[in-house]
Amino acid sequence: MANLRDIQKRITSTQSTRQITRTMEMVATAKIRRAQDRIESARPYALAMMEVLGNVAHFTGGASHPLLEEHETRTKVVVIAVSSDRGLCGAFNSNILRLSEQIVREERERGADAGVIAVGKKAIAYFRYRGIEPLASYRDIADKPSILDARSIASRVIDGYVAGEIDAVKIVFNRFKNVADQVPEIHDLLPIRPEVVRAAADELKVNPEYVFEPSASSVLRLLLPTYVETLVYRSLLESAASEQGARRKAMKSATDNAGEMITTLTRTYNRARQGAITNEIAEIVGGAAALEKS
Amino acid sequence: MARTLIVEIVTPERIVYTNEVEMVVAPTIDGEIGVLPLHAPLVGALKAGEVRVKQGEAVEWFAVSGGYIQVHEDKVIILADDAEIASQIDVERARQAMAIAKERLSELGGVGDEVDALERDLRWAEVRISVATAH
Repeated sequence: MANLRDIQKRITSTQSTRQITRTMEMVATAKIRRAQDRIESARPYALAMMEVLGNVAHFTGGASHPLLEEHETRTKVVVIAVSSDRGLCGAFNSNILRLSEQIVREERERGADAGVIAVGKKAIAYFRYRGIEPLASYRDIADKPSILDARSIASRVIDGYVAGEIDAVKIVFNRFKNVADQVPEIHDLLPIRPEVVRAAADELKVNPEYVFEPSASSVLRLLLPTYVETLVYRSLLESAASEQGARRKAMKSATDNAGEMITTLTRTYNRARQGAITNEIAEIVGGAAALEKS
Repeated sequence: MARTLIVEIVTPERIVYTNEVEMVVAPTIDGEIGVLPLHAPLVGALKAGEVRVKQGEAVEWFAVSGGYIQVHEDKVIILADDAEIASQIDVERARQAMAIAKERLSELGGVGDEVDALERDLRWAEVRISVATAH
């Protein structure tokens, strides 16, 4: 039977672990709300943006733009993997990393060169370890992504795409479905699918005669990169909220598990204590009986 | 009461301003445009500059770093990359940003990937300073 003092030690240590996981759970809960607020405040811009894009697309018809055109050959694919800087958030990162690596592997099997842009320390470390040196890495932005971060990621792939160095860009991130659920998703970033633009145009109920300054096609030319930026920004925000959601869930089950463990340990402790007492009594009784005999 | 416009200045991160006003002036790439109620539907690209919003005698100034404007049925949406209301611009910070951008630009001597972004930062700092100090 385990030593009483050892059991006591384990109980104390599990209790302090529970204290920590419980605090982390509460911190994550508070952060979820803030991250959700940020998603909300990004919405008006995104909606207005789609409206403008729809209007412009309607008037330019099937206008061509480097970002709308698919390259003839698919030799270089870039995957933007949006992970977190910190762990202890369940399957949050492993889902993203697994999906990203799978895309890389598939593209390589198809004969294309595939590279990774790693967002978050977890992705950077993972791909380095796997011998896939990221084309670019971004750290310390996962917690509180700003539009500037999104812009710098977006402009990097846009420049590469326009220059013909990149033929397709995908972004892998956790979508924040609700507080309890995060869904890993893969979105095509580049080329921008013409359907997207057309759908935005179709969604408008009214199509008044717009005046364009300077012209519809030049507005479109400026607008498409901004559209990509908005998509990246949105993905980063979704991922930030998801990270906190995933952490809250992971920490909640850790807290629950710690509680269970403490119950079991306390039971073992009591049983051991009782056993020890019984033992002592038996010894005393046995001793007394031995004395009587003699 | 005279007809009014609803104006909304939004950036990707937040709604900077929304109000019912009489006139909006914005810097498009080809020059400033003023929008009054009953303006024809318009979509335009903006460069870095000053947005003015007039409401009776009161005028509010904003620095915007470029973006888009859409006018439709007395509703003006300004999609700005970045926007700040004149009274809240931190001139000191803008000066610092300008100094950093200038220094970096002269270091690079006008070549490299960063130049475009730096020039944008520089213009944005200049616009912020001029809007803040003018009003």
